[in-house]
Amino acid sequence: MSEKFSATLRLTDLNDFIAPSQDCIVSLKKFKPKSEKPENQEKFNVFSKTTSPTEAVKISLKDCLACSGCITSAETVMLEKQSLDEFLSQLDSDKAVIVSLSPQSRASLAAYFDLSPAQVFRKLTAMFKSIGVKAVYDTSCSRDLTLVEVCNEFISRYRQRQLNSGKVRGQELPMISSACPGWICYAEKTLGSYILPYISSVKSPQQAIGAAIKHHLSQKIGVLPDKVYHVTVMPCYDKKLEAARDDFVFSTGGEGENDHDASGMKIAEVDSVLTSGEVLDLIHSKSIDFKALAEAPLDKMLTNVDEDGNLYGVSGGSGGYAETVFQHAAKTLFGKEIEGPLNFKTVRNSDFREVTLEVEGTEVLKFALCYGFRNLQNIVRKIKIGKCDYHFLEVMACPSGCLNGGGQIKPKTGQSAKDLIQRLEDVYMQDVSIANPLKNPIVKSLYDEWLEEPGSEKAKRYIHTEYHPMVKSIASELINW
Amino acid sequence: MDFPEGKLELREMQRLEGHSDRVWSLAWNPASGTAGVPAMLASCSGDKTARIWQQGPSGSFDCMAVLEDTHTRTVRSCAWSPCGKLLATASFDATTAIWEQIGSDFECVSTLEGHENEVKCVSWNASGSLIATCGRDKSVWIWEMQSGKEFECVSVLQGHTQDVKMVQWHPFIDVLVSVSYDNTIKVWAEDGDDDWHCVQTIGEACSGHSSTVWALSFNEGGDRMVTCSDDLTLKIWNTSGNPSESTGDGYGPWKHVHTLSGSHDRTIFSVNWSREGVIASGAADDAICLFVESKEKMIDEPFYTKLMKKEKAHAMDVNSVQWNPKNPRVLASGSDDGIIKVWELAERSG
Repeated sequence: MSEKFSATLRLTDLNDFIAPSQDCIVSLKKFKPKSEKPENQEKFNVFSKTTSPTEAVKISLKDCLACSGCITSAETVMLEKQSLDEFLSQLDSDKAVIVSLSPQSRASLAAYFDLSPAQVFRKLTAMFKSIGVKAVYDTSCSRDLTLVEVCNEFISRYRQRQLNSGKVRGQELPMISSACPGWICYAEKTLGSYILPYISSVKSPQQAIGAAIKHHLSQKIGVLPDKVYHVTVMPCYDKKLEAARDDFVFSTGGEGENDHDASGMKIAEVDSVLTSGEVLDLIHSKSIDFKALAEAPLDKMLTNVDEDGNLYGVSGGSGGYAETVFQHAAKTLFGKEIEGPLNFKTVRNSDFREVTLEVEGTEVLKFALCYGFRNLQNIVRKIKIGKCDYHFLEVMACPSGCLNGGGQIKPKTGQSAKDLIQRLEDVYMQDVSIANPLKNPIVKSLYDEWLEEPGSEKAKRYIHTEYHPMVKSIASELINW
Repeated sequence: MDFPEGKLELREMQRLEGHSDRVWSLAWNPASGTAGVPAMLASCSGDKTARIWQQGPSGSFDCMAVLEDTHTRTVRSCAWSPCGKLLATASFDATTAIWEQIGSDFECVSTLEGHENEVKCVSWNASGSLIATCGRDKSVWIWEMQSGKEFECVSVLQGHTQDVKMVQWHPFIDVLVSVSYDNTIKVWAEDGDDDWHCVQTIGEACSGHSSTVWALSFNEGGDRMVTCSDDLTLKIWNTSGNPSESTGDGYGPWKHVHTLSGSHDRTIFSVNWSREGVIASGAADDAICLFVESKEKMIDEPFYTKLMKKEKAHAMDVNSVQWNPKNPRVLASGSDDGIIKVWELAERSG
């Protein structure tokens, strides 16, 4: 598997020679096993060897998601080429191409070109429009929408647990953030059903902006959803897998939209995902002098930009989930106004930090940021044995979180990975003012015009999702006798 | 210590029978075998159990405990903590169990979960504060013991491209070595910033092995190690730096000094270096070989020679050979035939 995917996702890669059921069924790589001691056959060797494919087979991302196997590096190369080529080819089609840019990708390009996030945003807008893109939006905007939903979900889980105290312990808390696709993939494929109820049902900012564009904005501007090609720019390769999930594809046709209507046309919330690095490749391939590019005004409909052209959003390079929910819960549940930025204390290492709220000597809120596989691993074990006393966990598969995503532009020659992370953290909020998501006027109008209110049926339908434990094949169960 | 070639033999002292499937790995309890503490040997097997064997007053070993009903698949590897009070067992069921001796019983006091699938090996560091595990998911995990015998993962290392067969800590500094189906040997050390990194990879291009590396062992001084492989060779490695003075970057890289070939004609699965400097190897040719450093200094580089080959040491593959750390003339071996043998390295009689 390519190192570009998060380490957490890579760990689920199985490509040994042992159980045929676990071999990649559609591998592009021709793996020649050495003759070796049958270490894993044990006593029940009931499997006949499958014949290895001799011709290259095309794998779709869906095949990979449906399989408990691996993604080969060869396939990743194919995938990359697909994303950029397909994006460019769509510009010549009859579809309206819309780009949604993540703030982490903005920071990555800003650090690379020594510009500010707002400058990068305006220059990218100019560049994309010059090649035929109709609009460029901002996933900080949809992230504020998801944050409002996450706050709402947390309050209801917390209250539910208070109601249930004394009864059988529920699976309400800790609530675990759901924005990281590497973590979701690991939870579904490896951890299985016990962990899934703890994960917030709110979609990631990528999928939320996809839903907003395909379900709401397209109607508003009078374009059919299937005539919109929506591309996101992300700091993360795993986001490509997220965009391909069945949960994020819907059908049109007949009366209104029906998720289960097989007769209609299949429409994805996000048609393809480019990484920060791929956007840089695009800039290079078109020989664009990016720093010299004129700046274009931003598209305000789904972008966190105020009347004066200033950007705003939550701080926190991984989305500010813990911070936003903590402040909201302190105020809503305990009447405490807590000014940001919160003082997270390092627990084990800089990727595991916590913040607590005490009321009359009792710890009523205990939140943690938990980044990178080793920390994730420890917290998951604690949940499994019932020894996790956190109320909320902001979990990200990558060490240092999303600013350090696998899709970000690599360090320049002579620049250490650590230096780059520091630079990205510095530049991330450089000309972006901190703003409370609950007061975001665009989010407010999305509720007014479309979703009604946080946690409503419509919000659940469009902004929430479900998780599915990966069912192991019967053959792989057999070997566990 | 003098080891005259042709004058020594491996004398079979005892056969330990009890496992109902192949014996994968053996471990001598480092706190046993001295000052009134009877020698203790742990073994683990494809029968999903580990067994504890204790030496009685007569000198023979008896099974004192069967560690069962915890692992649901093969127990592939076992290792004692340096204090000898805890035993770690690594299993194909993807878990590593920690057992504590309570009276004459062994209780599972903790389980380390995290590997995606089969765990192949477990090793304690010199102080007993860290455990390393490795497995088929190509990863090496480092765990730290917390109060109350809880373990926290401190690092997940993903440098290998295939199944990792064995991990072994250096005898007195916190440097870890892993060997793999990808034919490489990797050396791991802490980077001073609370995470671990690969500091050296020894592949075929650096006089390394040309097929799966199955095992490794350090000499008593910690300045040499030996690896064994499916390529039918054993390789001796030397570190120029003094690994005991490892502060910051004071770690010296390992260099190839000698290759022993032609002794086994099937895969070499196990290798172990005795306190007295005798290297034992066990292989799929059912034989055990012993090697020592040659006294004749014809060249500057260290040179190792075969002391003897014990043909048909077992009826099937020899999976594990382990010298007793307290009595370096006593060797234990475990095999696919399900039997453990205790051998004495002795002067040939008659």
